[in-house]
Amino acid sequence: MIAGLLMAVSGAGAGLFGSLLGLGGGILIVPLLTLGFGLPLREAVGVSLVSVIVTSSAAAGVYLERHVANLRLGMTLELFTATGALVGGLVAFALPDRVLAGLFALLLAYTAVIMLRRSLSRSSGSSPEASSIDGAAGAAVAGPTAEVGFVASLGGPTYRVLRFPFGIVGSIFAGLVSALLGVGGGIVKVPLMNLAMGVPLRVATATSNLMIGITASASAIVYFLRGGIDPYIAAPTAIGVFIGATAGSRLAHRVDVRVLRVLFIVVLAYTAWEMFTKALS
Amino acid sequence: MNPVAGGSASPGGAGGPGPAGAGATERALDRTIGRVLQWGIGASIALLVVGVILMIAGGIDPLGPPPPPFDVAALGRGLRTVQPEAFLWLGLIVTIATPSLRVIASLVGFGRAGDRRMVLVSAGILTVIVASVALGSTVG
Repeated sequence: MIAGLLMAVSGAGAGLFGSLLGLGGGILIVPLLTLGFGLPLREAVGVSLVSVIVTSSAAAGVYLERHVANLRLGMTLELFTATGALVGGLVAFALPDRVLAGLFALLLAYTAVIMLRRSLSRSSGSSPEASSIDGAAGAAVAGPTAEVGFVASLGGPTYRVLRFPFGIVGSIFAGLVSALLGVGGGIVKVPLMNLAMGVPLRVATATSNLMIGITASASAIVYFLRGGIDPYIAAPTAIGVFIGATAGSRLAHRVDVRVLRVLFIVVLAYTAWEMFTKALS
Repeated sequence: MNPVAGGSASPGGAGGPGPAGAGATERALDRTIGRVLQWGIGASIALLVVGVILMIAGGIDPLGPPPPPFDVAALGRGLRTVQPEAFLWLGLIVTIATPSLRVIASLVGFGRAGDRRMVLVSAGILTVIVASVALGSTVG
């Protein structure tokens, strides 16, 4: 039973760090279960999807009650993320573990690079996030490419939705990534909505959380029905992630995450290397 | 149960340039759906916690032999006889089903508001979920 407690504690750590750094726990849970507990990668992905549903749905519930998430936009895009996730869930059972490990290593490396760029731009005094929010939202209101009809009804009081077809393609890709690698896919959806579609960052983050639940459940159903989710492992991990994410959200305003972010980049880079080695072995 | 960092309300989509009168309706729908998600996840965590406590009491090692495969017929019997696997399976089902419950609530809400396009979107999402169930149990 010590393994169960270790899983819960590790899950809590993943949820806490993920929450403090604005990432979902999935990106940490999968390597934790495969490299730390020796689980096959596909099984770890199934467990991670359950944890992702728990944390994103709880967060989305709060975001909706505060009217931060854009329900209409989120539901329209999740039609496509769910379709991508369904296909990804089926493809995942046809791919060897080594290919999944290689893809996961790429995702980890990509995330590390994104976080490193953010850290560097913050330390140099500029904030690309802030400028991108204002820039994107401003362009969305005034831009000549603002959509009309149904797509226009997906916007908010201060912004309009741009490049909707691009959003559809990006959403399908986000669903595929989520299903294959057991992550929420926020790392794809948030920049997609914010930078490409002109949705303010805060709304994009909240809406992404809303979409993650149905995206992850579309593929989790496939994993569940094919015996890809072990409840003895999924339960303690999901409970741990939930507790960690809840604690992280309460601590977020009191913790200086700069050092944490640097440490996290190192962990991501190391884990990417380990996953890459696993893919080649 | 609040995995969201604090902050004041900020308009997401409610009150946006949607159909006339959509703002108030969507705000009410936001609240309803938000509660569906919170209650669903609350119930799933409660079931998983009970299952883990029973696991600990039964000395089950998560890295040991896997549990018996999921069986709908055995679920009710397992709950009556307080088997850890039954609570864990049910907790997982409630977890995975909660986002779909939210979509059903949205479909009803948009239907009442007469928003046909969002009803179609909701129905489309539910169709994908049904396809997941069908393909997950038959293909492969």
